[in-house]
Amino acid sequence: MKSFLNLVVATLKDMVRDKMTIFWFILFPVLFMFLFGMIFSGGSGNVNFDLGVVVEQPDFFSQAFLANLGQVEMLTVHHGTLEGELEALGQQKRNAVLVLPQVQFGSDEEIAVPVYYDASNQANKVLIFMLSEIFNHVERGMQNRARIFTVDAKPVQAESLRDVDYLLPGILSMALMQLGLFGSVRLVYLRQKRILKSLGATPLPRTHIVFSEIVIRLLMAAVQTTLIILIGHFVFDVKIVGSWWQVLGAVFFGAAVFVSIGYMLVTFAKTEESGHGIIQVVQFPMMFLSGIFFPLEFLPAFLKPVVRAIPLTYLGDILRSVLIGTPYAFGLTTDLLILGGWLTVSLILAIRFWRWE
Amino acid sequence: MASIVVRELTKRYGKLTAVNQISLEVEDGEIFGMLGPNGAGKTTTVEVLVGLRDADAGEVRVLGFDPTTESVQLKRSIGVQLQMPTLFPRLTVEESLRLNASFFPDPFPAEQVLEWVGLKEQRKVYTYKLSGGQLQRLVVGMAIISNGRILFLDEPTTGLDPQARRNLWDVFHMLQKMGKTIFLTTHYMEEAQYLCDRVAIIDHGSIIALGTPNQLICDHFEEKAVELSAMDGCDEAILEKLPGVTKVQAAHNQITLYSTNVEATIRELMQLEAENRLAVNDLAIRKASLEDVFLKLTGRSIRQ
Repeated sequence: MKSFLNLVVATLKDMVRDKMTIFWFILFPVLFMFLFGMIFSGGSGNVNFDLGVVVEQPDFFSQAFLANLGQVEMLTVHHGTLEGELEALGQQKRNAVLVLPQVQFGSDEEIAVPVYYDASNQANKVLIFMLSEIFNHVERGMQNRARIFTVDAKPVQAESLRDVDYLLPGILSMALMQLGLFGSVRLVYLRQKRILKSLGATPLPRTHIVFSEIVIRLLMAAVQTTLIILIGHFVFDVKIVGSWWQVLGAVFFGAAVFVSIGYMLVTFAKTEESGHGIIQVVQFPMMFLSGIFFPLEFLPAFLKPVVRAIPLTYLGDILRSVLIGTPYAFGLTTDLLILGGWLTVSLILAIRFWRWE
Repeated sequence: MASIVVRELTKRYGKLTAVNQISLEVEDGEIFGMLGPNGAGKTTTVEVLVGLRDADAGEVRVLGFDPTTESVQLKRSIGVQLQMPTLFPRLTVEESLRLNASFFPDPFPAEQVLEWVGLKEQRKVYTYKLSGGQLQRLVVGMAIISNGRILFLDEPTTGLDPQARRNLWDVFHMLQKMGKTIFLTTHYMEEAQYLCDRVAIIDHGSIIALGTPNQLICDHFEEKAVELSAMDGCDEAILEKLPGVTKVQAAHNQITLYSTNVEATIRELMQLEAENRLAVNDLAIRKASLEDVFLKLTGRSIRQ
C-alpha cells in the first residue's frame, strides 16, 4: 500500500509538471466552458415575470384580485385554461401559473391557491414570494378574516432549458470522455519509454501501475468536474439540481467507463502516436453523435442506431439529469446498464489483449 | 555458497538463439562480470536472471528462488539496473531515488546513495534535464538503493567519463565489502579486469571462457606483450623470427609482439635498431590483457 501511494504521488507529480497535461485536462474544458458559455448565455437576466392566471369561476373576488395584479409593474399577466397555461409554462413562456379557486365566503377554511412555477429558474422563488405578499394585501382589505389564502407552490421543471444549461453537462461529458480516452495513451507511452519495464524489475506489482493511473484519472475527473460546475454555476448561473454525491457518483462512473474504453482502444497501439490517432478517430465522431451538445432530435433518423450505441450518449443523459434536472431520455437503469456493459466488455478486452512489452 | 546458479540456460527469440546453453555459478560476495560485444546475449541473460524473461530451457536459481515462478520474492531481495535509462521525466533525481526505495523492504537512505553516485548537487533536477552520464549514475543509484543482496547491473558504466567510472568502481568495491554480490555486464575490458573477481566471456550467446581475469590471461598467454611503433614500417617476417616471439600483430605502424622471452626479444630488437634495419619508437612491455584474450578467442576486437 505504501509503495502504491508513493507511485500515485510520483505519477501525479510527473503528470502535473507537464504543462500539456494541465492544458488539455484542466484549462481546455474550462476555456470551452467560458467560450461557449458566453456565446450561449445571452438573453438571461430579465426582471419581467410572465404569470399565467387561470380563473375557475369569474366573480367579484377574482376581478378585485386581477385588478391588484395589474398594478404590479414586473408582471405580465396572461389568461387562459389550466392546460394551455401549463403547456406555456413547460415551454418557458410563463414563469409561473396561478390557479385562482372559487372563493366561498363565509367558510372558515383556508383556501389553497396552487401556483405552478418553473423550478429551474431561482428567480421564480421571488415571484412566489411576491404573489404571497399580494394575497396578504388582499386579505388586509378584508378585515373580517384573519387568514384566507395560502399560496400552494408547485415546482414544475421546464422542458426546455437555456442553451448554457444544456452546455454544462455536455462539456462535463466531453471532458470525462477525453480524460479517460486520451489518458490511457499514457500507458502506451510508459511501455514505449521502457518505464513499465524498469518498474517491472522492482518488487512493485504491475497491476499497481495501472491502478495508480486509474486513481489519478478519477482524481483529475473530480478536479475537472468541480471547476466546470463552479464556473457554470457562478459565472453562467446554471442551477445544479443534483446533490454533490449524485454528481460525483455519475462523474466517477463515467470516468471509469471511458478509462476502460481507452485501455481497450490502446491495446491496438504500438506507439504513443498511434495511440493518439486511434483515440482521436473514436472520440471525435462520438462527441457529435452523442447529443451532448445539442438535442438528439436534431440528428437525422439514419444516425439514431449509432447514437444509441455510443456510450457517451448515456453518460450525457445521466449527467444532464443529475446536473440540471432534465428527465432521463432512456431511463437511469438503461443508462447504467449500457454504460456498465461498455465498462465490463472493454475491461475484459483490455486485459485480454494488452501486452506489457 | 552460490548466490546464482545457471545450468544450460537457453533463450530464443524466434529463430535467433540469444543465449545458448550457458552454465555458471556466482558465489556470495563476488563481483562477477559478463564480458562480451553488443548482441552477445549479456542483456538477455540478466533479464532472465531477474525474472523479466522466461527461459526456454535450462535451470536458474537466484538466492534459491526460481525467477519464473518466484519473481516477487526474488525482486524484493535484488537491485536491478537495466540498459538504457528510463524514468519518469518530471520527477527529480531525489524523488526518483525515493520512489524506488519505497518499493523495497529495507532500502539505503537516499542521502547516502546520492553521495555514492555523485548526484548531490543534481538532487532537485528533473531527470529529463540530466546529461547522459548523470542519468546513467542515477539508474545505477536506483538499483543500489534497493539494498538488495545481489545487484544486477547491465552495463553500469556505459557513457560515463573515466573519472565517474572509477568512482563507481570504488562504490562497487565498497558494496562488496558490505557483503553484496554484484553481477554486471560490460564491454569494457579494463573494467572487467580491474573490477571483477571472475569473468565470463560471452560471444554469440555462448560462454567461451570463464575464470578470474588473471587466470584467463595465464591460460591463454604464457607470453607478454611487447608494443612498439616502427617509424618506417618493417618486415613482419623478420619480427616473427625474433627469439621468444610466438605471434605478431601489426596494424599500420603499431606492432604487438607476444613473446615468451621478453628479454631475448628486446635484446634482438635493439640489435636490429643498431643495424639500422628498424626504427623503434615507444617501446612498452605489458602483461597480456583480457583484450588480448578476447582477440585470441574470437579473432576480433570487442569493439568491432
